[in-house]
Amino acid sequence: MSLEIPTVKTDRLILRAPREEDFETVAEFAESPRTEYIGGPQDRFGAWRGLLAQLGHWALRGYGMWMIESKETGEAIGRTGVIRHDGWPEPELGWVIFEGQEGKGYAREAAEAARLYAAEEWGFTRLISQIHPENGRSISLALRLGAVQEEEAELLGEPCLIFRHPDPRGAEDAA
Amino acid sequence: MPHSEIPVIETNRLVLRGPEPEDYPDFRATFSSYRSRFMGGPLNPYESWMLYAAEIGHWRIRGFGMWMFHDKASGRPLGMAGGWQPASWPEAEIAWIIWPETAGKGYALEATHAARRYFYETLGWDGAVSYLDPKNLDSIRLAERLGATRDVEARTVDGNDVCYRHPSPAALRHSQIADAIALEIAHYANPQFQPQGYALD
Repeated sequence: MSLEIPTVKTDRLILRAPREEDFETVAEFAESPRTEYIGGPQDRFGAWRGLLAQLGHWALRGYGMWMIESKETGEAIGRTGVIRHDGWPEPELGWVIFEGQEGKGYAREAAEAARLYAAEEWGFTRLISQIHPENGRSISLALRLGAVQEEEAELLGEPCLIFRHPDPRGAEDAA
Repeated sequence: MPHSEIPVIETNRLVLRGPEPEDYPDFRATFSSYRSRFMGGPLNPYESWMLYAAEIGHWRIRGFGMWMFHDKASGRPLGMAGGWQPASWPEAEIAWIIWPETAGKGYALEATHAARRYFYETLGWDGAVSYLDPKNLDSIRLAERLGATRDVEARTVDGNDVCYRHPSPAALRHSQIADAIALEIAHYANPQFQPQGYALD
């Protein structure tokens, strides 16, 4: 079992392993109403468990979620990557952008890079994203990423829409 | 931790190693049951999974964590023991949990004793505590067999737990309690063994 976590760079962003220094940012986000569509809000202990689990997921599955860091400021601005927790139907491309960092196209830039990496390195060519039906911003990002809604389902007792992404290989310029 | 490998420890009857994907079903079975009531459970499958992944992440962030311990002969997973320190916890704690049907054989004592020795001798800890639910009599009994005593002055996690303080490395060295632990483990390992002196329980 290994905890090697790769780093991926885009024009403005670095996708990297989560670190303890990210905890205050993560805890603030976890306690905020921004998490209402992803199972939150959570207290500090829940946020701590989440940060550790983000690391441990890599060891258990061989893939996982990165922290998204801004190259310009060095700040952690969100998370993206591939997760398959207990109860997930298949591996999922996920993304989250922290308070004050939305509206700059970071989520799209990060999720596209993660999706391409997942296809090329892990062989996940047609990932899903599970999104709460009221999470309009994530739904519109999924659509802009070229994903199509496949079905309505339920995740951890909440309704969710399952979007299926296109195979991103060789299509970076077409987006 | 600076490198990604979780150390492997062997004791008389046990092997302690990092939690691995194939050990997850046993973890989930225990943490979704009433047995986990003193450790924040019972949990649903998602919560169990997050906690299991967090057990591994803890090693990376803190440089120590919980081992999965297995029966050396059969490889069967028996429980977990090791160190645990979430953000904002007062001190690093030594923790343990054993899977059902493995209680009463001294496995938790043997695993926890080995974990504590590793923290003291390899990582250089100068002490440790265990935060226990006052209703969790089995764990309080194990803490006492390990030589820990209730520390009423110490800060607890949230006021619903009690703090047991382990003997320091110096207090443990060549002490009566160290001999008692060794004797008790030897007795479990070999039922024919006749302990000398007082009964241990």
